[in-house]
Amino acid sequence: MKLPIINIQIRYEQDIVYVRQRARLIAEMLGFSRTDQIRISTAVSEIARNTYQYGGGGRAEFVVQGDNLPQIFAIFFRDQGPGIADAEKILQGNFSSRTGLKCGLVGARQLMDYFHLETGSGKGTSVFLGKTIPFDKGLITSRLILQLIDALEQSAKQEPLEEIRLQNQELMQALTELRKKQEDLARINTELEDTNRGVVALYHELDEKAAQLTQANNLRASFLSHMSHEFRTPLNSIVTLSAILLNKMDGDLTLEQEKQVNFIHKAADELSGMVSDLLDLAKIDAGKLTLERKEVSIVNLFSSLRGMFKPMLDGKTLGLFFAEPEGLPLLYTDEGKLAQILRNFISNALKFTEAGEIRVSARLSKSKRSVIFAVADTGIGIAEEDQSRIFDPYTQLDNAPKTAFRGTGLGLSICKKLGNLLGGTVSVKSSLGKGSTFYAFIPVRSPDSARTPLVPAENLNFTRPYPVLVIDPDQATHALYNEYLGHTDYYMMSARSIKAGREFLMQIKPLAIILDVLFPEEDSWSFLLELKTDPATRHIPVIIASMLPEQNRALSLDMEDYCSKPLSRQWLLNKLRTLRQRVPVKTILIVDDQEVDRYILKGLLADEKYRILETASGLEALQLAEARQPDVIFMDLIRSEICGLEVLHKLKENAATRHIPVIINTSKILDPAERQALNAKVVAILSKNTDSGAILIKNIQATLEKAMQALDKR
Amino acid sequence: MDTIPILQLDDFLLISIQVEMHDRLALQLQDELTERVVKTKAKGVLIDISSVETVDSFMGRMLGNIALMTQLLGAETVVAGIRPAVAITIVELGLSLPNVRTALNVNSGMAMLRQLAGTSVGGNGHERQPE
Repeated sequence: MKLPIINIQIRYEQDIVYVRQRARLIAEMLGFSRTDQIRISTAVSEIARNTYQYGGGGRAEFVVQGDNLPQIFAIFFRDQGPGIADAEKILQGNFSSRTGLKCGLVGARQLMDYFHLETGSGKGTSVFLGKTIPFDKGLITSRLILQLIDALEQSAKQEPLEEIRLQNQELMQALTELRKKQEDLARINTELEDTNRGVVALYHELDEKAAQLTQANNLRASFLSHMSHEFRTPLNSIVTLSAILLNKMDGDLTLEQEKQVNFIHKAADELSGMVSDLLDLAKIDAGKLTLERKEVSIVNLFSSLRGMFKPMLDGKTLGLFFAEPEGLPLLYTDEGKLAQILRNFISNALKFTEAGEIRVSARLSKSKRSVIFAVADTGIGIAEEDQSRIFDPYTQLDNAPKTAFRGTGLGLSICKKLGNLLGGTVSVKSSLGKGSTFYAFIPVRSPDSARTPLVPAENLNFTRPYPVLVIDPDQATHALYNEYLGHTDYYMMSARSIKAGREFLMQIKPLAIILDVLFPEEDSWSFLLELKTDPATRHIPVIIASMLPEQNRALSLDMEDYCSKPLSRQWLLNKLRTLRQRVPVKTILIVDDQEVDRYILKGLLADEKYRILETASGLEALQLAEARQPDVIFMDLIRSEICGLEVLHKLKENAATRHIPVIINTSKILDPAERQALNAKVVAILSKNTDSGAILIKNIQATLEKAMQALDKR
Repeated sequence: MDTIPILQLDDFLLISIQVEMHDRLALQLQDELTERVVKTKAKGVLIDISSVETVDSFMGRMLGNIALMTQLLGAETVVAGIRPAVAITIVELGLSLPNVRTALNVNSGMAMLRQLAGTSVGGNGHERQPE
């Protein structure tokens, strides 16, 4: 049986002293003689030092062993050190230590009655010291041991040094833990710093990447705008020239030649379409496409689409029907882009429908927030599994009959992107062999600003190219004139007051003004005077229509004519026709560095009675303009020794040329800002990129007439 | 921290160990003592260990080292006041202290030192009882 007394840790040097003091004290309590007490404490001191020095610290356990007399006071030392390599040698006494350091073991054995050593390399060391307890005290019981322990504790408390030692030990332990934690923290800190450095480096890299991306994007953008010009210019030349050939402006073609030219025309047209598609898609992707929202009438939209597709139906057993839109609100959206979506849908339907019909319709959605456009065909249809990918770029389905349907495969993907741009969506419903229906959901959306232009900018209304301004307070008169001018080449702008009339005149130069001189609140005559003195309006013929007999006064003011109300339709139309036909021989200056473009323009103008001057140089253009005083200047935004914009600026600066109307005819894609800057100085901006030659001719003629109208009245 | 005072008595240094001796304290004493011997040009050192109960191999070795070192510095060392039980233990432990002169108590220790110092004995007539 073992009766444990105390268990002491040996970690610091002072512990050696402590252990040896405890040993002496316990020995004293157990009744050992004074000499034995010193023997025991000396032996304990030796072994404790070994445990501390060689074992790196360990424990000393004090026990009383034995149930009967004689009992033994035993002390066990254990450590986890490297062990003693030559323990046998040491104990046999053969060991001679130069330092005498290891004689402690031998000495301890000699001082004690019992000694046992267990050690091995790497296993640690345990030492057992024992001394027989003197009999005179009798058997040591566990109760006695408890008393002994109590006494020990008491003695420890009485010694302030001992108390300090214990506290010290605790402190040391706490400090050790603290140090460990600090080390951990330091390590984590280092790790964090490393990570941080990595993050900073990554950020730097990201910054660099972003800069590179921006640069790449800029390059792409400039590439695109460059390409739009460079690709389209020659293509447009081919298209327009072949159109001229086909129009037989320069004599007849043989049947074979006509066929060939037709092919050239078609192929170039197709290529031009593809280039446009590509550029559109790239522009949408680059976010370069800006919306020009305005009020859009679906009726007008349908009618212009109808007109556009009419020629394409020739020779097909196919019907294209536009359902009359009923009860639909005005859309506030970008008309051009909406038209492009529908155009793509319809031309797609035309491609894939051999016979049957194509129906275009529009209706209000249930929520009334958007208009659903539908283009339904009776064509080959699209398989279910393909429907999801037809809106992806460059997708062309295999079942499409090969040669007939060439294209870039971009049309529908452009539709999708344009639809998104307009705030809506596009979708398809189809079954193979039965046909397809394409939908576009376009939000109605009310205008952001209340102000909408009375006359849309650049609106060259080809069907009724001659605006006639009616200024009359009487509504019935407006209705009457409107009826007169319906289905003619004129269109009426109604102003119910002189103020409204002035606003119209700021925006457009009408062919004629029909004015009633009897305005209740305003002085019509002073308005007339103003009209005739302002150089901008001086040339506009004014027809006085009034119930007052003021003919003489009117004519004295250089009025075109005077007529007492009511006017007859015949009289009005005759009058307008004479005004229209008052076109004398005019001089036109063409400034373009592209010889082929000048040639095309000359060809287009050949029918008219025009004298053509031409030049490729901006400087020469300035000289010609001043010396020859042309009536109109057609100008490309050329890039010769002096750029087009500069030429324009100089023309407008020079008092001798300021009055000459300028028409810009360019293949450059102008952004809204450029356009606006130009609009202030020129009569019209024409694009060489117009789809077909026919439209181009019409455009030019209309613009020319518009310019001439302004001239005529001088 | 414990320190052991080193007293100067004429040409001699007197050390009385009154505290429980631990290893670092012993080494510290050894360093201080040698320095003081050089500084004071002491002729002898007396170490009184009458209060010391435990002289183990380390302590024994330390005493031997001090004696040897001071000899090298020209001073003799006498250890005085070894208790009987300590003497028994030292013998049983197998310690030998070859360079260490011992005396029964401080008195005879001082006498021994004076005698060893030879000519200077009673030279200046300042004999004192250190205790």
